[in-house]
Amino acid sequence: MDLITVTRKPGGEFAIRVRGHEVICDVSAKEGGRDAGPTPVELLAGALGACVAVMSQRYCGTHGYKDGEVAVSLTVEMADNPKRVGGVVIDLEVPRDVPESRMEAIRRVADLCPVHATLRNPPRVDFDIVLSDN
Amino acid sequence: METKPLGGKQIEVDEDGFIQDPGAWDEAVAKDLAVTEGVNDMSENHWKVVNYLRNYYLEFQMAPMIRKLCKETGFKLKEIYDMFPSGPAKGACKVAGLPKPTGCV
Repeated sequence: MDLITVTRKPGGEFAIRVRGHEVICDVSAKEGGRDAGPTPVELLAGALGACVAVMSQRYCGTHGYKDGEVAVSLTVEMADNPKRVGGVVIDLEVPRDVPESRMEAIRRVADLCPVHATLRNPPRVDFDIVLSDN
Repeated sequence: METKPLGGKQIEVDEDGFIQDPGAWDEAVAKDLAVTEGVNDMSENHWKVVNYLRNYYLEFQMAPMIRKLCKETGFKLKEIYDMFPSGPAKGACKVAGLPKPTGCV
């Protein structure tokens, strides 16, 4: 995978950059930011929703279901001690011509998307702390 | 703790505007709380959500999980957000007079 960098911008928000793309991430004023973009937790949830949407769209496209769009609405339930995402609630909309008999297959596809699979099987996170050279 | 005029009474609220004494809640308080959440007109559907949350809280002393709220009221997640733009936790629970939820909605 390409290198992903997260750097602070003049306004205090952070820019996440990868392969020439940039996504802004910030926190609310209450938490010391200025709400210039989604929060890290929102981006995490959004990544899950996008992954579910991409995989479901691929399935529907492959099987020719085109009467309507794939769309995801989701929200998170926070938990305390430590503060974290305690749950994610996802509504996945699929084209109207998807038969009931295919719903379980779509559920499996959504369950197996890489981000969902990662959350089900937490990865090892290995980090080092180094001094800034800027 | 700050007090605010809600439903014709002075009611104690936390820093996010959640009322501190669920017993102080009534429909007039709910209507004023709704305005603080950008809901100027409480429809039948708004009341369906609010009453479900309130009854659940009175029975279990906690807010329901969001999926349960959707299933029991018959609303999709997006529809809940359409009604309460700040969501089931910050919006609907506040209007229903629940304490600020942490772990559930």
